Amino acid sequence: MIPSTWIDMPAPGTLPEHRREALESYLAQGLPHTRLEDWHYTALDHLARLPLHPPAAADVTPVIDEAPGHDLIFAGERLIETRSSLPASLLHPLAEGELTAAPTLAPGTALSALNAALWKSGGYLTVPRGQRLERPVFLRFLADEPEAMLHPRSLIRLEAGAEVVVVESYTGATAANYWCNPVTEIELEAGARLTHIRLIEEGTAATHTGLTAVRQVADSRYELLDLSLGGRVCRHELYLTLTGAGAACRLDGLFLADGRRHSDHHLRIEHAVPGSMSRATYRGVAAGRGRGIFDARVLIRPGADGTDARQDSRNLLLSPHAEIDAKPQLEIYADQVQASHGATVGRLSEDAMFYLRARGIERHAARRLLLAAFAGEALGLVAQAGLGDWLMPRIEARLNEIGESIK
Amino acid sequence: MLEIRDLHVSIGDKPILKGISLTILPGEVHAIMGPNGSGKSTLAQVLAGREGYTVTAGAVTWQGQDLLAMAPEERAWAGLFLGFQYPLEIPGVANVQLLKEAVNSQRRRKGLPELDAFDFLERVKASLKLLEMDEAMLYRGVNEGFSGGEKKRNEILQMLMLEPRLAILDETDSGLDIDALKIVARGVNALRGPERAILLVTHYQRLLEHITPDHVHVLADGRIVASGGRELALELEAKGYGWLTAEAGQEARP
Repeated sequence: MIPSTWIDMPAPGTLPEHRREALESYLAQGLPHTRLEDWHYTALDHLARLPLHPPAAADVTPVIDEAPGHDLIFAGERLIETRSSLPASLLHPLAEGELTAAPTLAPGTALSALNAALWKSGGYLTVPRGQRLERPVFLRFLADEPEAMLHPRSLIRLEAGAEVVVVESYTGATAANYWCNPVTEIELEAGARLTHIRLIEEGTAATHTGLTAVRQVADSRYELLDLSLGGRVCRHELYLTLTGAGAACRLDGLFLADGRRHSDHHLRIEHAVPGSMSRATYRGVAAGRGRGIFDARVLIRPGADGTDARQDSRNLLLSPHAEIDAKPQLEIYADQVQASHGATVGRLSEDAMFYLRARGIERHAARRLLLAAFAGEALGLVAQAGLGDWLMPRIEARLNEIGESIK
Repeated sequence: MLEIRDLHVSIGDKPILKGISLTILPGEVHAIMGPNGSGKSTLAQVLAGREGYTVTAGAVTWQGQDLLAMAPEERAWAGLFLGFQYPLEIPGVANVQLLKEAVNSQRRRKGLPELDAFDFLERVKASLKLLEMDEAMLYRGVNEGFSGGEKKRNEILQMLMLEPRLAILDETDSGLDIDALKIVARGVNALRGPERAILLVTHYQRLLEHITPDHVHVLADGRIVASGGRELALELEAKGYGWLTAEAGQEARP
């Protein structure tokens, strides 16, 4: 049963039809547990023990830094500020009717259904045919209320040939044990191009279970930077379908799992037609008692000949108690495909450390250089999106923390 | 300035150096020659502080300090430099980044302010010119995709920037064609001075045609079996190592 405290809208009986159906779907499935193959690595038992409730009305507006772009800022699932010069028709808080009118891209998983039942707000961005937005669009979600349950919902649509950079960030400044369960659906029409920076920097006791669903048609290009820097138990699921020839995706990721962080990256990529391409390049760092997971599956459907799919997961273990599971998988039902996957888990090179120290570079500085170099392999999109000044200090600060935490 | 006394070193249970004694004074150039497996590189690595070696006996004193008690970076700050036989490739760390970090951490230790970007670049450019290196090399990953000769030149570039009191050059001549050898030698000679010393570790004597040593030592089976002047290197060139290593073998017998 779902606790009645989870819902602060009309009683379940009076929910709109689609929300009631979603709720029933969640109830039928229940909270995911580790006996499910897809949840093998991530336990959410602690959520069942928390007296979760919808966020209370925030009486304080948090101060938030200036982002270099158009910006929708949400706190506790409420829009608190719009800093945008775009027409409101392009960028605004998602309306119920907009979601129900759009094709559903998110799969019907338990948590995605729960989001569909309970979401209150999120971003809506549409970029008209052939338009290229000069400045990035930020959708920022803040949280800091203990035991709050947040289900932000966003929808991003790029019409044919449209182009934009979107930064979607989830931030918590405190040690509150809230749960954020966002769903973002993205539809790219022919020739559209989206660069998507997705940033998890939740509070130190927070749980994040995000889902991104992407559908691409011919000649569209989707570039993701999947960053997991903060939060206690974090998981991001990406469901991406390539349904047109010439569609291509580049999925870069970096997770930093130190202390007792848990960061699970669950990728499901589907090549449905001939002639599409996918690249997944993930770098993971685990220190302390941290745990990282790269669990990716590329499915190449019958007839999707000429598919070109590669997965590359490289990981660094910086402590004997840290753990990384890298599990790239391929499921191929087509002919003449180019598909490969590779995964490594290793340590910082002793030889490289000695080389740098022999040049008079202190141990911690040498480690910082090597960590930054390693992480940098997955960060090519940062400069390409022109977000170095905004993003790199956050990443570097976390890398430094990790570098200095090692004895 | 450097005094090695009866140094014994093992890797695991296997003794590699079996009692090396060597004194290097400021201004001197020493060459250590010897066949493969004689312990030359082990000596260089132990002096630079590489882990994985066990010093079972003996001592090394550097300017009055116990060198073996110092961390690799402390040895570098104290003026020791090792030119690697196989310089490492470190993709993602730009050459210029390594040079700046190295120069500035040394300056911080000496209580000097960090070099400003302009002065730093001026100094690098002068060294690049001497070594006939392209400025673009600065912005590439450390040794990433460098040819053998470029890597060795890059070692010398780092050496010139750090201005060590003692440079240990481990087989810096190996894999170099004659032009590259001359350029490397030019770099090394530029460092020579009354306060500085150089220890060349080499298999062949051809480097010594370009960097004239004051003392030549022959290492065989973990021991110095002969020491002499420049002429010893020439004798080795003519006769090979056989006559010395055979003697060492006999000597080793009880």
